[in-house]
Amino acid sequence: MANLFEHIGVEKERLQFSWISSAEAGKFTNVATEVANTIEALGPIDKFVKKTD
Amino acid sequence: MDSLTQKIRETASNILKEGKVEMVIGFAKGTIPMTTKPYMARTPEQTENFIWDKNCTLNLANYITGRKEKIGIIAKGCDSRNIVNHIVENKISRDQLYIIGVPCSGMADKNNPDELRDNCATCTHKNPVIFDVMVAEPVEEQKLDDPFADVKAIEAMDKDAKWSYFEGLLQNCIRCYACRNACPLCYCPTCFVDESGPQWVGKGQNKTDIQTFHFLRAFHCAGRCTDCGACEAACPMDIHVRAFTRKLNKDSLELFGWEAGLDITKRPPLDTFNPDDPNDFIK
Amino acid sequence: MAEDKKTKVVSFLCNWCSYGAADLAGVSRMQYPENIRVIRIPCTGRVTPKFILSAFREGADGVWVSG
Repeated sequence: MANLFEHIGVEKERLQFSWISSAEAGKFTNVATEVANTIEALGPIDKFVKKTD
Repeated sequence: MDSLTQKIRETASNILKEGKVEMVIGFAKGTIPMTTKPYMARTPEQTENFIWDKNCTLNLANYITGRKEKIGIIAKGCDSRNIVNHIVENKISRDQLYIIGVPCSGMADKNNPDELRDNCATCTHKNPVIFDVMVAEPVEEQKLDDPFADVKAIEAMDKDAKWSYFEGLLQNCIRCYACRNACPLCYCPTCFVDESGPQWVGKGQNKTDIQTFHFLRAFHCAGRCTDCGACEAACPMDIHVRAFTRKLNKDSLELFGWEAGLDITKRPPLDTFNPDDPNDFIK
Repeated sequence: MAEDKKTKVVSFLCNWCSYGAADLAGVSRMQYPENIRVIRIPCTGRVTPKFILSAFREGADGVWVSG
């Protein structure tokens, strides 16, 4: 799905997947930070958002 | 009348007479020139209405979903692949079908009758992959150096160019859902666009809703699309809706080595788990 | 909390895996960014493209699916 996203011009990094077990709190915080930073770096989205005007 | 039409009528009328099937699905002449319509013949006399020409653009596999009777169906290469899809997805059983294979040399573009339509020009499965009887000798399959040249052209654009390309593509969409209705893959009892609780997609002409519809419609065809072109043939606004599904076809070929509807014994890649499946995208 | 980060990441976390990890992270007082907005789901297998597109449609800047 991420590939199709990229194909139509939405950054595929906006969609992230991961596998974290319930015992991996450390991995969770690492991945959460990483994901948040990636999205933060991309900035707010302007595509696919329903504009109500 | 050409020999294919003659042969189709003969075969269809024979199997109806012999009682092998209760009806035969094929093409009949449309109400305006250069068109055809799907036609179901239930008596040997009705088979006289069948025709075969360059305008049989719809996909007849669309009409066998969930049927209970024994059906004879006329199948060109792509119809036969969609019939395989239907069998694999348990929408009909192989025993119910009597498939009349027609080797296809490509259908005409609806706006430019002298040329082949896009998907036929890049077709590599002109002959039916599954059939009970063939009405003619198989035609030669073409070998393409680069079947996905059009997809690669879009991939080469930068993200804003891509976005504006797809925005332009969909700006004429009137949400008639003809592409969905013509598609043999779209047989859900309730389509996600018609669901109202929760409502996934708005009903109006909002740009985002149109994009969401097309994106999801295409994604539902991932690993199943046979590139039969029925969606484009049905579109009244001439939108190149295959731009989405072509990308997914390319991906399933590259990631899973899969082309839809070639073998009734194989499950589609998104339906199975294999430890070797590509999983680079998971952290 | 101050709205210093403008982006929002909608996170679909599996009850038994990542949600448990998020819980453990909370109990262990580990820090993670506040723009992660968690939706707990019974199983990641139920996440469909519709969920993801709905999230984007309603204004998410990113979606994170974690099982």
